[in-house]
Amino acid sequence: MLSTEKRYHTNAIGIEPFDKSYGLGYQVNHADWSPFPRVNDLRQTFLDRPYDIDVERLRLVTESYQKHQSCSRKLQCAYAFENVLLNTKLYIYDEDLIVGEIAAPAKAAPIYPEFSVNWIIDEIRHSPFEEREHDKFFIRNDKDRQEILDLCQWWKGKTIDDHLQASLDKDQLKGSEVGEKIFQTNLYHYAGVGHLAIDYAKLMKVGYVGLIKEAKEHLAALSKRDPEWASKRDFYLAAIIMHEAARTYIKRYAKLAEKMAQTEPDKKRKTELKQIAANCYQIADGTPKTFWQALQLFNIATTLIQVESNGHSISYGRMDQWLYPYYEADMKKKSLTKKQALELLEVEYVKMNNPTKLKDKGSMAVRNGRGFGGESLTIGGVDREGNDATNDLTMLMLEGSVHTRMMNPWICVRMHEKTPYELKTKVVQCIRAGYGHPKLYNDAPAIKAMMRKGMTLEEARDYCVVGCVELSLPGKEYGWHDAAYVNTAKMMEMVLNGGRSFNTGKQLGPDTGNLAEYKSFDEVLASVDKQFEYWTDQMCSSLNIIDSLHRQLKPLPYVSLFFSDCMDSGKDLTEGGAKYNGIGPQASGTATCADSLSSIKQLVFEDHYCTGAELLKAIKDNWEGHDILYAMVNSSKVHHYGNDDDYADDLFKYMFECYCRHITGRKNLRGGDFRPGVYSVNANVAMGMNTHASADGRKKGEAISDNMGPVHTDAGSHDICGPTALVNSLAKVDHSLATNGTLMNLRFPEDAVAGVQGRDDLLNFIDSYIAKGPMHVQFNIMSSKTMRAAQKHPENYKDMLVRVAGYSAYFVELGKPLQKDLIQRTELHF
Amino acid sequence: MSKDGIVFDIQRFTIHDGPGLRTELFLKGCPLRCQWCSNPESWKPRIQWGAYPSKCISLEKCGLCTAACPVKGVLNFTDGKLTSIDNSKGVDYSACAEACPSDAIKQWGKSMSVAECMAVIRKDKDYYQRSGGGITVSGGESLMQSDFVAELFEACQAEDIQTCCETTFYTKWRNVEKVLPNTDLWISDLKQMDTKIHRKYTGGGNELILENLRKLADLNQRLILRIPVIPNVNDDPVNIKATADFILNDLHGRVETLQLLSFMRLGVEKYKALNIPYGMEGVHFDRKEFQAHVEQIADYFNQRGIHCLVGTKDKEVEAVKKN
Repeated sequence: MLSTEKRYHTNAIGIEPFDKSYGLGYQVNHADWSPFPRVNDLRQTFLDRPYDIDVERLRLVTESYQKHQSCSRKLQCAYAFENVLLNTKLYIYDEDLIVGEIAAPAKAAPIYPEFSVNWIIDEIRHSPFEEREHDKFFIRNDKDRQEILDLCQWWKGKTIDDHLQASLDKDQLKGSEVGEKIFQTNLYHYAGVGHLAIDYAKLMKVGYVGLIKEAKEHLAALSKRDPEWASKRDFYLAAIIMHEAARTYIKRYAKLAEKMAQTEPDKKRKTELKQIAANCYQIADGTPKTFWQALQLFNIATTLIQVESNGHSISYGRMDQWLYPYYEADMKKKSLTKKQALELLEVEYVKMNNPTKLKDKGSMAVRNGRGFGGESLTIGGVDREGNDATNDLTMLMLEGSVHTRMMNPWICVRMHEKTPYELKTKVVQCIRAGYGHPKLYNDAPAIKAMMRKGMTLEEARDYCVVGCVELSLPGKEYGWHDAAYVNTAKMMEMVLNGGRSFNTGKQLGPDTGNLAEYKSFDEVLASVDKQFEYWTDQMCSSLNIIDSLHRQLKPLPYVSLFFSDCMDSGKDLTEGGAKYNGIGPQASGTATCADSLSSIKQLVFEDHYCTGAELLKAIKDNWEGHDILYAMVNSSKVHHYGNDDDYADDLFKYMFECYCRHITGRKNLRGGDFRPGVYSVNANVAMGMNTHASADGRKKGEAISDNMGPVHTDAGSHDICGPTALVNSLAKVDHSLATNGTLMNLRFPEDAVAGVQGRDDLLNFIDSYIAKGPMHVQFNIMSSKTMRAAQKHPENYKDMLVRVAGYSAYFVELGKPLQKDLIQRTELHF
Repeated sequence: MSKDGIVFDIQRFTIHDGPGLRTELFLKGCPLRCQWCSNPESWKPRIQWGAYPSKCISLEKCGLCTAACPVKGVLNFTDGKLTSIDNSKGVDYSACAEACPSDAIKQWGKSMSVAECMAVIRKDKDYYQRSGGGITVSGGESLMQSDFVAELFEACQAEDIQTCCETTFYTKWRNVEKVLPNTDLWISDLKQMDTKIHRKYTGGGNELILENLRKLADLNQRLILRIPVIPNVNDDPVNIKATADFILNDLHGRVETLQLLSFMRLGVEKYKALNIPYGMEGVHFDRKEFQAHVEQIADYFNQRGIHCLVGTKDKEVEAVKKN
């Protein structure tokens, strides 16, 4: 096909041709995607394992805290971590080549009482994890159940959650998850923060021994004239204890592998076990010398971050970059073949799925899925000098992804104007396979967003993705991404109704006017601005309190030592030790607000189709008895976002910028500032359930708009002009203003991208998308028909992944309302 | 002299009519009446209105269309929902369409200037350029408005936008000539080689069409031909052989691709909305058997050296899998 665009090329190649087709859409019940039988076996074993709750971490941590009640909190954390690593059971699974779990068997969830226990006690007693509609977890027996209850009891009053309840004032509480849920700070209220990528390149270069040596030197050089001497001393002492414990833990694995090798009858497996032992000894006492050892060190270092805290989105950075030297060296020595490298990668990919996280039901509602979530693996993009960074591993990492087709890792491909044609084709072939990976990131706006956070151009070019869509600088940034879910549709409710809730009639926010009384559209906009100011005040001040409680109660010396600036300053991540510090709460329902404003502007103030009072009454009545008005606001006669129509798109832009403006620049306690994100992941569904009807034609309980997407109500999709129009609308905002990321889902049915032409059409579409400047995009290649079939026969669709938002999940494991939301999202056709 | 076109639809981002990602303009008015036509709203060269009962919120709850209608008794309701609109009386229903709050009345046809069309076309220029796409005019019979198309294509070429004209070629050669200088690609049907049968099913003979195609082939224009394969109308060996002979002998094989479009029961709703009887009502056949038959026809053409596809796209090794 003729194209006027110049193509760029690469010599990088995986084990398969760059344009190999991996099929089209979800294929029922396949168990042999990978060319490596071992990988297929490991994958199947994972899928067949239950989601258990494991009591061991809770037991070991509690034991240690009880024993070390009088020392500083950092040391308490260190001793607890050490107690876990020295005593936790070890697991080496059949056929596995890499060892290390999160102090629990594969796929079992440990408990992290440091953050919160009240919900655990409450849910065990009143709404057992086993009886959840989705995201079920299983406590193995009554003895475990009782032990969990007893141990959690000890923690009552000591957790972040307990302290927080006592610290929030009534204005903060009424808007939060315990009140009307205008904003939800659940995630870090009940669990750890995570959302970071460490400096793997440095870890690989110096190993645990190097980091410990460096910490000891800093400790020795501390001056007692420094007023923070004690705090810094405790930081280094704690970090050293923890990193030494990591070494001991690795050696425990080495010994176990050696022991298993002795009794292993199978010769090949015996050799593998011996190599696992040798790998462990090497990385415990030195640095990795091979590709396999580098992956082993990566796995231990990363899983231990998840032993320290259950913060999610512990991401892998630009893995095709930092891992490349080990691949290259082995290939040069001819000690590794491309196939062996890929098998190791795929084994590690399957393993990345093992960590699971027990979440409170409130968090679960906004974030379906039992994995930790957010383990993004970034590949491609430009290097620090601005040149394309594609290498063999970039291609192999995509092949590993399409061979395993699991929730993890979340492959994220950075795209730029010179991304090679071969890489783009491989990306499109993966997308067409319909398993929800990879997601695409656009270097130009992303780099601009990084620079808005104060980074140099070279640093900005080194960004990776952590979590769903958030940008981060590996080893330098503690961004507190994903800090809160903001229901902007609720704020709009306050605008329409004088600061009162439609649900309860209670006065929640300031009375900034109501729809029956506004004299002009400008007055409406002024009211929007005031409500957003008030509620972001409540939310951001709440987040600062939560942040300070994490600092006070749950410092993170283990992971902090992987951040050079923490190492140099003696400050923990929670104390602002990273070079860049942020807090990123994200807005949901932006299009719901935009289309609401459009109805109001057009029908009330321009066409005088109805009065403000009439529209307000219709919304209050949940549109019942207002059929004409309900049809009208959902019809093509009213301007709607997503149709390349400036009238509505300008209002979307207004809402987008309004949110960003109210978040950007607020200070946090770690010396950084607040950063807006505009995405909902899947929280739009739960938020909608809790939100009254809105002026865009939503009825009470329906989902609010998802991420950067357009409105779809039970009366129909508001975007009716196809994908180019939608993308043009989306591209009218400056995505880099959302320094914490934006998210866009697009769904095509299988036949829209079928055949060679379908492949090229999708590739060209993506090229245009990237050129137009939105920050992120991800695809579902799945027809509504397929999803409905899966609802009917879930047993046949167990491993059918769908791209929910930033993440992919097994469709049949999602709650019914979210399944409905996914089906309702507009199916786009070329 | 600027001339407005009667446009009944603009679809952005189509991929079936020409290469790459395209915007397609459907022009209203057609001299033929193919019984299988899926766009009956395109036949009349004037504005028409249709009803979508599934979108109507009912006479009882609304009734805004009847209140706005200049004539009484021309809007037909069944069970309280608007089911059809009588277009035969020359009534202007734009006030009804305007009043309807639920998109249940669709106005087919709108007078648009070249400048207005260009404003829409331009919006997706970036997509055309990256994909080798452009614009396609279709119909109806696009060349019934050849002055408009000529001017539109000239405007497109001035902005480096590639053009494709889809036509029945049931038109005078001078209309083709007007558009020719600015057309990059042609798409046309070869519905039936026997002019009597052609006339029976389409309302017109095929002489003019074949003559225009011969002239076009002599000018070495890029051409995609299509056969809408209709059971028992044109899928017999005699017609298929005659078609191949025509392409090879009369057109000198100068056809980029021959596309076989299997008959689909499309547009039935629109026939209802327009209150026109559907000509293919009685046609019943086994879809699977028919599809296999169409594949055989494609094989025949390919064996005779004519690049032939079933559908509009090259198939990949993988098949579209239906769960």
